[in-house]
Amino acid sequence: MAQTALKDTSVEEFEKKQEWWWAAEKKRSGRLDYLRKAIWKKGAIGGLYAPGVKTDLEQAVMTTNMAKSMEGSPDPYVIKSAKLFAHILDNKTIFITDHAQLVGYTGSLPNTMNWNPSIASILNAEVFNDPNAIPDPVDKNQEVIQEIVDYWAGRTDLDRMMPVFDMDDLMKMLSGSIGWGVPLARGGYSNKDYEYIMTGKRAFQDIIDELDKKLDEIDDAVHEPMANKEIAVMYDQLNNWEAMKIALEAGIRIARRYARLARIIAENFEEDPKRKEELLKIAAACEQVPAHPPRNLQESFQYDIFIQMMSRTEAIEGAWPCRPDYYHGPYYDKDVHIDKTLTKEEALDLVGEFLIRAAEVCQFKPKFAREGLQGIDGTWVWTMGGVDEKGKDACNDLTIAFMQAARLVRVANPTFAFRWHPQVKDEVMREVFECIRHGLGYPSIRNDPILISNAMHWHGHPIEEARLWVHQACMSPNPTTKHGYQPMRMANATANCAKIIEYVFTSGFDPVVNMQVGAETPDVSTFKDFEAFFDAWVLQMRTIFSILVRSVNRARLLAPTMTPRPFLSGLSERCIESGQDTCDPSIARGNAWITAFTWVENADSLAAVKKLVFDEGKYTLAELKDALAKNWNGYEDMRLDFVKNVPKWGNDDDYVDSIMLRCLDECAKFSKELKCPCGNNWPILPENVSGNIHYANIVGALPNGRRLGDALYDGGISPGPGLDKNGPTAVLKSCGKIDHVTQGRAFLLNQRLSPTQLADEKGFQLWKAYMRTWADLGLDHVQFNMVDDATLRSAQKDPEKYQEVIVRVAGYSAHFVDISRKTQDNIIQRTVQGLG
Amino acid sequence: MTTCQECKNFFPLEEDPNRGDCVQRVKDPRQEYYQAKPVNADDDASSCSSFQKKQQ
Ligand code: SF4
Repeated sequence: MAQTALKDTSVEEFEKKQEWWWAAEKKRSGRLDYLRKAIWKKGAIGGLYAPGVKTDLEQAVMTTNMAKSMEGSPDPYVIKSAKLFAHILDNKTIFITDHAQLVGYTGSLPNTMNWNPSIASILNAEVFNDPNAIPDPVDKNQEVIQEIVDYWAGRTDLDRMMPVFDMDDLMKMLSGSIGWGVPLARGGYSNKDYEYIMTGKRAFQDIIDELDKKLDEIDDAVHEPMANKEIAVMYDQLNNWEAMKIALEAGIRIARRYARLARIIAENFEEDPKRKEELLKIAAACEQVPAHPPRNLQESFQYDIFIQMMSRTEAIEGAWPCRPDYYHGPYYDKDVHIDKTLTKEEALDLVGEFLIRAAEVCQFKPKFAREGLQGIDGTWVWTMGGVDEKGKDACNDLTIAFMQAARLVRVANPTFAFRWHPQVKDEVMREVFECIRHGLGYPSIRNDPILISNAMHWHGHPIEEARLWVHQACMSPNPTTKHGYQPMRMANATANCAKIIEYVFTSGFDPVVNMQVGAETPDVSTFKDFEAFFDAWVLQMRTIFSILVRSVNRARLLAPTMTPRPFLSGLSERCIESGQDTCDPSIARGNAWITAFTWVENADSLAAVKKLVFDEGKYTLAELKDALAKNWNGYEDMRLDFVKNVPKWGNDDDYVDSIMLRCLDECAKFSKELKCPCGNNWPILPENVSGNIHYANIVGALPNGRRLGDALYDGGISPGPGLDKNGPTAVLKSCGKIDHVTQGRAFLLNQRLSPTQLADEKGFQLWKAYMRTWADLGLDHVQFNMVDDATLRSAQKDPEKYQEVIVRVAGYSAHFVDISRKTQDNIIQRTVQGLG
Repeated sequence: MTTCQECKNFFPLEEDPNRGDCVQRVKDPRQEYYQAKPVNADDDASSCSSFQKKQQ
């Protein structure tokens, strides 16, 4: 928008037109406006990185040179890993942006994407093959990249682990047909033991002191005149503790580098006394944290940013599990209410900047991840609200500040997920609603009592720990406690579930990747009744899940020795206590889940087969098999019959709903047979990110009438777009038939609501009534898009004008213009539900 | 040989003047910032395009 038009239009006028993004731009402070516009957009647009965003070669070169220099070193692998980590923190380029009060970034410059070449050669090859993201001069840097790629071939985590995996499973998993992810501990995301490090009781120096004590004790113990198994193990503990110490000390040193830079700027360059003071405050903060616990809100945020930045130096982190209102809330209260060192407006600036610092974070991602997470770098789903360990309402003034700041800075990532429970006050619900009404697509709403019971049911977390859950990624709860936190993406077992029904028709052969992936069930045309057909479905489900889970279990078992994480271990009470790596399953309770992409197609397809083949006898399975193999070509009338004349999920119709429940029962039964290396269960969690688009050309024709190439449903337990014809209550009733405690780990539900209908106080009351029904029916999740079709279609026609429109894609939000046309259309096709 | 310690951008560490930071002001298309990179006082600066002679 032209600056004059922006100036001449009032906030109220923009709000009346529901052009929230312009209103926000006018409302936020000058600092927030500068910092918000300073962000380089890192999420891939239609799978490609934006112009100007470049792969960071500095850290890749440093990593490679350091690894080469350590080749002849006798150090154990875990010590080498820690030294590599420390080398990067000690030598990377750092920067402080004008007006910033918080510092720390994953790359060396604001427009760079961190690239860690030690994790997977398949990732390194993608860096080489992405010339748009290679910094200038491209030719010369391509040579640099080639050298890095060559050096790491055979040396990356995945390359070293491949020979000790079941190669058959791994090939199926990596074929791209049934899985989405790579079974690696350093490639995914990690929750953290926030109860240990984020409650103000200790910080890095305290942990280092503790480690020193342990190292002294063990040094004495191994030199006693004694020998036994315990002593034999102590050498590994010694190495792990030593590595943790190296990593934490490096963490303190890089913070001091930021402190020094802030002082240099203040003392040598800055002339504005106010900014000088701010820079000295930054310096003081970086001298305090992460060495010592924070003393105020700024330091608390700074501490968190450092931890996240360091974690992303050690590994690829595709998510951001945290609970910022809960852990930073006491500092907000102290600064704003008790000490009165911050005004509410100043605090809001800090909160907004904290969101911005997270929004700019980026690590180079492979194409499959970029396509599945269109428009964002990873799912930074920040957990808000909820209860404390005693079950009391944990919402605080910072919860409200986060909601307000989100409406000012309007970033698509991070997003929030709000833990609703019956004690939440109306003023907090109002703030949550305002974010949704302003079209952010977040917070998503989670049902706290249901999910606490669910965590206890599936993973046996004690109630006090279950109450301390955060989203480990988009959806799955995981406690931030000593034995509860999960250090790796066990959900690398992400299943493309539409293949379950597809494989029933192909006897497990995958025509897209041209290999036998699923079970060799009998020719589908031989099934005489629905039960035989359903048995084949169950076997395909069990086969696909097993392939994925076996691979991830193997990776988890190998992780402590082959891909250790000394920094993450150094933040964990169980590791400090035991001297074992964070991924060691013997000291963790386990919290694995199978993310079930493209799930609902199964229920709709099974219902179609049952009705039209077995109940009504209109078609034979042989005919259907032929139609699907031909992608319905030559069978259009039959296809329309399968689309139109069969009950569809989401309409409160027991015919199809009972099939959904039966499928979930089968999965739940198998989830308790499947075990992770911690000995715990593998429940399923239906959700999609934008996998429904990624898999459009990978999943063949299905009995619900879908053709190869069509977008799949938008995921979780959301009805197919436009197929929920009986209104919002019918959707809730269908979903409410699922037992959200015992039938799976969590269930994503997308809903579109009308912004016009929900515009005023009446709208808030309507939404609250809807939420009451949702809670009464025991659903665990719902998220809303509240942008009308007209705006979205205008944004398709004139993307430049609508750069800031945000939509809810799946478990995350994105700027509408950054997602592919197919995903855009898929969102527009979702039914807009009228309430009341 | 010209070295980093002769450069205006070089800021030595108090505890070890042989090491320090190269601090520079940068303006990219979206933001302005100061960056710092560790260097040694006697690093060769003869081919550094950002070298600026320190005023004595
Ligand atoms: S600008 Fe060049 S010469 Fe000056 S300190 Fe930096 S690296 Fe050294």
